[in-house]
Amino acid sequence: MACQGLQSGETLASLKKESDSLKKKLEEERGKLNDIELHQVAEKVEMLGALSIKTKRLLKGHGNKVLCMDWCKDKRRLVSSSQDGKVIVWDAFTLNKEHGVTLPCTWVMACAYAPSGCAVACGGLDNKCSVFPLSLDKNENLSAKKKAVAMHTNYVSGCTFTNSDMQLLTSSGDGTCALWDVESGQLLQSFHGHTADVLSLDLAPSETGNTFVSGGSDKKANVWDMRSGQNIQSFESHESDINCVKYYPSGDAFASASDDSTCRFYDLRADREVAVYQKDSVIFGASTVDFSLSGRLLFAGYNDYTINVWDVLKGTRVSVLFGHENRVSRVRVSPDGTALCSASWDNTLRIWA
Amino acid sequence: MIFSSIKLLFVVLHYSVVLPRMSSKAHSSNNIAHARRTVQQLRIEASLERIKVSKASADLMNYCSAHARNDPLLMGIPTSDNPFKDKKPCTIL
Repeated sequence: MACQGLQSGETLASLKKESDSLKKKLEEERGKLNDIELHQVAEKVEMLGALSIKTKRLLKGHGNKVLCMDWCKDKRRLVSSSQDGKVIVWDAFTLNKEHGVTLPCTWVMACAYAPSGCAVACGGLDNKCSVFPLSLDKNENLSAKKKAVAMHTNYVSGCTFTNSDMQLLTSSGDGTCALWDVESGQLLQSFHGHTADVLSLDLAPSETGNTFVSGGSDKKANVWDMRSGQNIQSFESHESDINCVKYYPSGDAFASASDDSTCRFYDLRADREVAVYQKDSVIFGASTVDFSLSGRLLFAGYNDYTINVWDVLKGTRVSVLFGHENRVSRVRVSPDGTALCSASWDNTLRIWA
Repeated sequence: MIFSSIKLLFVVLHYSVVLPRMSSKAHSSNNIAHARRTVQQLRIEASLERIKVSKASADLMNYCSAHARNDPLLMGIPTSDNPFKDKKPCTIL
């Protein structure tokens, strides 16, 4: 297999020629369908009124930069992870810290709540993603029950459970994404195609089927078929690393946040970028994005400590949320859409409503 | 004795000529494998069925308007209904 011969008529040059002509054809096909811009179609939509979103809770307790957070399906609990290896489960209503684990590694860049609410997954510089069951017994040592599920050859940048507690999807600095069986730790599928670190992933909303999107340092956002491992769509329009990708609630589109200080919106059925959220005054990298429940608002966290709220359809900025005293590393809207949680390098998390 | 040393010379010459060719063959077959993968990937992407941006935009707008009234952050909800808006004073147990 290492020295596979050439098929008849095929040379390196002919393959290169075909790949160039396919790329050109792709560009043409995508261009033909670009009959109007999204913001032009959205001109007939009503302007948004002023939003009254303010900090309602301040979650203090981490001793170092908070890198990631995820909501529980019960809409009140959340898990957060930080640079000092700590993972904390909070009750956001009462500010009560329900569980705390210290991982032996620093920079826990990824954490996720299991759909059942009974476990959390986290990983980072240890190149692994581990799952902890959450015990009702406060005295129980959670670290002892840790189970290493995912094994990568570089840092774990993102993780999410699929539709059950049984499977875990991870993204890594080793350039791949992988699907794991939680019980056995077995690798079920791996996803190759990125040519640099994969920094983020997001699972398609359950109605749309078995796909997920990933974004990386190669400036590409790729859409994958979870069963076959096939890369089905690829988007390359950012000018720098893509730090975060998130599906639009309908599953027909997704948004991305990048070091090039823009956020972009891609429609999967039109197979192209349909909006760029940028402003001359916004010059710092965007690290995270999430949509409000209806998909009309896009919350984006930036390295200039702010969260910009964009009108997804019109492309304009609606609001700026100030409060954090360092980079915003993660924003996530709660499952019922009532609140936004933001995590920051200022060691805190904020709940906005 | 002379014949065996000549034979050895031929063997050495043979390998010194063949080996460099073998390694460049391995190198170029890697390039070919990569190029073939790229072409296959592009073929898949090129065969995708696409819709017009006008249609895609209309669908996005419809989704937003259909779900707008259920979007608390967009609409704002009465203080009494939102558990986060209601900030109770802290009690230390």
